[in-house]
Amino acid sequence: MFISTVTETVSRVEAVLDAAVQTIDITKRFGELTAVDRINLTIDAEEIFGLLGPNGAGKTTLIRMLTTVLQPTEGTAKVAGQDIRRSPNKVRQKIGVVSQAMTLDVELSAWENMELYAKYYDVRNPLRRERITELLEVVGLLDRADFAVGSFSSGMKRRLELVRSLVHRPRVLFLDEPTTGLDPQARIAVWDYLRKIHKEEKITIAITTHYLDEAEALCDRVAIVDYGKLMALGTPAELKRKVMGGDVVEAEFTSLPDEAFGALKDSDFTIQIKRRDSSLTLLVKHGAEAVPKIVELVNAKGGKISSITLREPTLDDVFLHFTGRSIREDTGVTRKRFVSSWEGMRR
Amino acid sequence: MGGNAPMKGALWVCERDIRKFIKQPFVMVSALVGPFLMLILLGSAFGGSITHVPIAVVRESQGQFSSTYLDIVRDQQNCAFGGVSCGDAFRLKDVPSLDQAEQMLRQGQVKAAIYIPSGLDNSLSNSINVAITVYLDNTDPLSAAAVSAGLTRAAQQLSTQIRVVSAHDPTVTLDTANFYRNVLYIEFMAPGSLVQAIFIASIIGGGISILFDKQRGILEGYLVTPLKQYEIVIGVLLAGVIKAMFSALTMLFLAIVVVGVRPMVDTTNFVLLLFTVFLTALGLISMMTAFAVRAPAPEVYQLTAFPINLVLYFTSGAIYPIDGFPDWMRQMSAINPETYAVHALRLLMYKGASFEAVAIDFAFLAAFTAIMIVIATLAFKRAL
Repeated sequence: MFISTVTETVSRVEAVLDAAVQTIDITKRFGELTAVDRINLTIDAEEIFGLLGPNGAGKTTLIRMLTTVLQPTEGTAKVAGQDIRRSPNKVRQKIGVVSQAMTLDVELSAWENMELYAKYYDVRNPLRRERITELLEVVGLLDRADFAVGSFSSGMKRRLELVRSLVHRPRVLFLDEPTTGLDPQARIAVWDYLRKIHKEEKITIAITTHYLDEAEALCDRVAIVDYGKLMALGTPAELKRKVMGGDVVEAEFTSLPDEAFGALKDSDFTIQIKRRDSSLTLLVKHGAEAVPKIVELVNAKGGKISSITLREPTLDDVFLHFTGRSIREDTGVTRKRFVSSWEGMRR
Repeated sequence: MGGNAPMKGALWVCERDIRKFIKQPFVMVSALVGPFLMLILLGSAFGGSITHVPIAVVRESQGQFSSTYLDIVRDQQNCAFGGVSCGDAFRLKDVPSLDQAEQMLRQGQVKAAIYIPSGLDNSLSNSINVAITVYLDNTDPLSAAAVSAGLTRAAQQLSTQIRVVSAHDPTVTLDTANFYRNVLYIEFMAPGSLVQAIFIASIIGGGISILFDKQRGILEGYLVTPLKQYEIVIGVLLAGVIKAMFSALTMLFLAIVVVGVRPMVDTTNFVLLLFTVFLTALGLISMMTAFAVRAPAPEVYQLTAFPINLVLYFTSGAIYPIDGFPDWMRQMSAINPETYAVHALRLLMYKGASFEAVAIDFAFLAAFTAIMIVIATLAFKRAL
């Protein structure tokens, strides 16, 4: 017993020492708006970590602080063992960053884009040549190495940006919305390449996303961020379990009187209920028992259910649970407010 | 009922364009700035008379006649086209020896030297015809023509006066000696075109590409790399200078091959010329970089950059001697870096001038460049 406790403690201490990223009360304010509000989180070495939240939630601001572009208003963080405030230059040596904006030089070839980046990081030949060849190979662009990037599809450009940020073998790779603006096929291709890179480079990857499927498909652990605050953190499975051990029931109905909705809401098995057009999503305690009760209740109140399914909770449900709203309901208001104050700060 | 009357549609299309036009006052104004500047600057430059041209006087004869001649020269007036405003044509400077006058001529301190030989007054007293020699800096063909015309007129007036006061009628003629080979007007303009090539390269190669990089987030992308801020600034400026120097040297090549400009061929001169181009390019690139990164909107930069080019170019003396400018324009040219660049290039290309001759130009350009680098660095750091 004693020995195992010690071992556990030691391994936890090691994990903290080895942490790729550790934030301590990190906060950023733009005027009156608090974009990031005292976030404390640890990203372990070699994990794929997702920051999930709607547009304007503060994900990008957090990433910009961790990548030394912005100074925190309060708090700090350690990235790859270095303090972002005290030694930003050491941090920069150890991180790779793919921002939301396309920053490739379209006039230059894929190889030239890689080569220049390698030079910024002082990666010298012959290592430079080997490294670029290896990386272009990984994302299937080696045969296009000498083509101008302007001729690439958006998926190819994203892949190139991805490996360009790896020329110097960084310890942590930050990706800000890596698949935004890509078609579904290109998105899946980028995911595959990310997994491949993660495996081959033994690197920590931190990605921000507002796509739940992306977080679920890629991430070992996910942090849910909204209004600058950390709402939940854990593996997708843990988070789902945290949804009070419940199951999700989805029902399509042809009619649903308000009375029936009210009865469902007040019933003792319902944890959460949401109505959208002609469908209902319920978070319930024991799915198998709840399904017949739901049908019964709705029928009794004069409604009619056309289909009903029971499924495991998804991250979407998790998100709904922790933030009280669906991620797809992202209102333009928060985003606009955020963007305008952001621009005000840049002036 | 539906359906507009014929041609009504054209009205709506027109209305849309006019509405948009009115909503963009800046575009409207800037469309006028160029032509208006051209009117003011070109009109003032070419319309002005060449006055106060500095001339060295080497006087080896101190008699009555030569004094009268110099008085007549001092009284010469030059008037603007249309003749409303006139001014003293020449500004005389007494110089002890011909050697010194030559040196001043070479260094561009004077545009001509009048040489009054020792026997002149005696000869005239004895009714012997005489000649006064004028050495002209003919690398400035417009000033040279004005000097030559004015001094010849003065010689004729002196002859007339002598005839009135004495029974004899010796004549005074003017020998003009071109100090350099004849420089054509198009050659006179060429240094200005070199400088303009540098400036336009700074607008396009320097400012606009930075503007795009800033908009696309590439400047911010630099910040997550280990590159230092000063390295980014120096890198950007250096690239701009290389592009501008390439542009200027191509212009020089075209001027020589296509236009037939014949600059002096001399290693020292060429090195000094390269240095002038380098300093000018660095100064102008820094200026336009600072402007580009701090411009409130890309349009502001794009629309103002070209009028700035016009002002600098026309007040630099690139196309017309500064001696012909009205006062306000002369003051502008005194603080315009392109003035010094054009002056230095002209000296180096056509006079085979030494370093001392262009030292003042270099000093001004170096000071301007240093200030602009500081401003650009600060502006850039804030933009990053």
